[in-house]
Amino acid sequence: MNDRNRHSDSNRPRRGPSGSEGPSDGRLVEVHAQLSRDKDEPAEGFSLTPIFIVFLFCGFGFWAGVYLTKNAGGFSASAFDLDAPKAVVGGGPVVFEPDVAKGEQLFLANCAACHQATGLGVPGAFPPLAKSAWVAGAEDRLIKAILAGLAGEIEVNGVKYNGNMPNIGAGLKDAQIAHIATYVRQAWGNTGEPVMDTKVAEVRKAIGNRAQYVPADLLKEHPLETK
Amino acid sequence: MTQDNHSGRPQGRPPEGDGRVSRVEASLRGPFLLFFVSAVVWLLAASVLGVIAALDLGSLQGGVFRDCPWFTPGRVAAAQQGLFVYGWGFNAFFALNLWLLSQLGRFEFRNGWLAQLGGVAWNLALTYGVVRVFAGELSGFRLLDFPREVGPVLAVAFLLAGFWPIVAFARRPTGHTFASQWFVVGASFAFPLFYLLAQLLVLWQPASGVVQAIAHSWFVANLLQLWFGASALAAIYYFLPKVLERTLTGYYLAPVAFWTFFLFAGWTGPAALVGSPVPLWLQSTGVVAAAMMLIPVIIIAINVHGTLFTQGGWTRAWNDTTLRFVSFGAAAFTLAGLLGGVFAFRAPSALVRFTSFGAGLEQLLVYGCATMVLFGASYFVLPRLTGALWPSAKLVHVHFWATALGFVGALVAWLVGGWQTGQLLADPAVAYADVLRAESSWFFMLTISAVLLLVGHVAFALNAFGMILKSSAPAASGRHD
Amino acid sequence: MKNLNTLLAGVFLAVALPFGALVLSGQSQLGGLGRAAGEEGGALFPSREPGQAVQGRAVYVSLGCVSCHTQQVRPAGQGSDIARGFGVRPSVARDYALQPQVLLGERRLGPDLANYGARSSKINVETLLTDPASSGAAWHPSYRFVDAAQRAALVAYLKSLRQDYPSPEAKLKK
Repeated sequence: MNDRNRHSDSNRPRRGPSGSEGPSDGRLVEVHAQLSRDKDEPAEGFSLTPIFIVFLFCGFGFWAGVYLTKNAGGFSASAFDLDAPKAVVGGGPVVFEPDVAKGEQLFLANCAACHQATGLGVPGAFPPLAKSAWVAGAEDRLIKAILAGLAGEIEVNGVKYNGNMPNIGAGLKDAQIAHIATYVRQAWGNTGEPVMDTKVAEVRKAIGNRAQYVPADLLKEHPLETK
Repeated sequence: MTQDNHSGRPQGRPPEGDGRVSRVEASLRGPFLLFFVSAVVWLLAASVLGVIAALDLGSLQGGVFRDCPWFTPGRVAAAQQGLFVYGWGFNAFFALNLWLLSQLGRFEFRNGWLAQLGGVAWNLALTYGVVRVFAGELSGFRLLDFPREVGPVLAVAFLLAGFWPIVAFARRPTGHTFASQWFVVGASFAFPLFYLLAQLLVLWQPASGVVQAIAHSWFVANLLQLWFGASALAAIYYFLPKVLERTLTGYYLAPVAFWTFFLFAGWTGPAALVGSPVPLWLQSTGVVAAAMMLIPVIIIAINVHGTLFTQGGWTRAWNDTTLRFVSFGAAAFTLAGLLGGVFAFRAPSALVRFTSFGAGLEQLLVYGCATMVLFGASYFVLPRLTGALWPSAKLVHVHFWATALGFVGALVAWLVGGWQTGQLLADPAVAYADVLRAESSWFFMLTISAVLLLVGHVAFALNAFGMILKSSAPAASGRHD
Repeated sequence: MKNLNTLLAGVFLAVALPFGALVLSGQSQLGGLGRAAGEEGGALFPSREPGQAVQGRAVYVSLGCVSCHTQQVRPAGQGSDIARGFGVRPSVARDYALQPQVLLGERRLGPDLANYGARSSKINVETLLTDPASSGAAWHPSYRFVDAAQRAALVAYLKSLRQDYPSPEAKLKK
């Protein structure tokens, strides 16, 4: 089928280093258009190519899907390296270590206005944290207080306060609350266990976006541990 | 429009008397020669800069241009690429694409002055851009190096100069179309789109952070494939059957090649960013697209090499000046596609990343394929438009051998040198100074190649200009040599 | 294939689809990146660059330094960037979030500069431009025409290139 296009033009005189002349352009277009139309007619020896192409297509398509599934890092904006451990979007170390120093900075920034840097609070207005049974023991109680706040009468170390603590924690990240809680439980002579960010996340999920606790209700959920 | 549309139109030797150059071609003469002559002038300028760039590299610490502010390696490289791509590559394809689609669509070009206006605007903007680059006002983004005010001018000039092939396609008298027409229409329509979008997001309203690099990689891939690749393919698809006087093997696959080529090419950009600080999914998408490009590359190879390998096609191609260049370009296209697919993958890509290998792959397409095809096309088209002969067969030989050897030499230096450098770079035990020393051993070869290319281009220019001058001297008559 | 409109629509999609999927969705994923602390309570990075560094970047671009120097550190599995001491961790997109012009570079004829401000180098940048031989990098081109103010700005820019801090996307190895 290759030679059907030969015609008288080919024995015209040649000129120049590139003198050979082919078919006229109109003929070139038409013959090839004819070839395109003829593709469906079965011609021996020619049927393998389209099948080959179809297989090639399917193979490439399948491979592309597999490759992208395995190598696209979940289409995440923060995956840059195939071999790297999965990075966390939006910050937060992969392995969390509660840090008292960071907790202190965060405490000074967020809590010290009422509870004071000394953790002693303001007599008659804000309850102390130092040596307070409220912050020791069950970490849920402390985390809930930080996340949702407290409103109502509260008795700390035998003194009654009219508490009104805002939901400071709602604006802080889990890890930051964990740092603060750890600091509060370990500063000023307190001896509580450190708090992990995963615990904060758990509590935050459990209470959702709720209003301030009434201190008595909170105590019902998590009674003060008596020594 | 000539009546003899099947075979009678005088193409080789014009008969005596009037109408030796067809009306279609006569109407093209002005714009074509403007584009062609400016293309060759830019080609010469770019080749001289290529020699300077090679000398700059070979003797970084010394050399002729030491401490000359206009010739820092960075500025010379930017100016050289700018002139070669936008000066030679675009002007020459303006000419060839216009001629090709006018021929195939039997389009008589009545608004030649508009195209010439576009051509003049394009060249003026380019001159301004290159001067500013030399003066140190480059943008830092390869192939978008001209100061940003050049971009919109080039885009408008493109609409005036480079859009006519689409008009010629729209006004063609017959319903049938040919592969060359699709590729040229695609290239002419795609360029202003991606050029303006890239200008916008890289220079005018820069995207934030590394998105600039993503946009830039997307642009470079589009420029290389959709302008240079597609335009060169159009010429390959035309000249093979035209000169060999036979139909293309497996031509019915050509539409598949066209669509897969266009639909995959634009996605390949981020393959150049493997290992860069862009999200993994972008890198992998680029890798997949570069591998998918093997589909059009294989189909095009069936069409092109299938035709060349039957009935002594190669022998005939070798003995015909046009086809010798064009089939060189076709082979380079296939090689570029195969290497591009393989070296997109993470491991090989990481090995050759930041070496000269990438430049080699790019030049394989821009020079090995597109430029060689343009040379071949010139040998076919110019005699028909001017009605004159090429003055010197010797210069034609010098042209082919100097460019072919020069390019192959440079390609070996880029690819093999890049591979070798990459292996040294990957080994932290090899000191950086030693890596550089090994790499610089290839600079000598690159310099020789640059000189060979310059020699070839001068031979081509002498021959072409001699021919154009000869044909225009006795005006319209007495063109019989 | 005979219909011009089909052809143009297809070509338009061939340009627009990758543009949307690669560039625009890249922008929507990365466009909002800003300063962030790599560790809880830690300082925010990347730092804002000093004014002199902004001028220095213009010198860097103008001289064409990007044609031979990259500014990106690849992950450990690719190349030897970290082993060579170009950086202490792979570069991530956030490192470039504040840069008005991102000069990642494609060719590495000279060493990588992404973490230049933080790594020790035997090479004296002050004299690198005027007298490469005595600065310890004899192969570097010399740029004596660069005046002292531009040189100082360039040095300030290079010193401002640091990727030695932890980032949410790239931890430092302890």
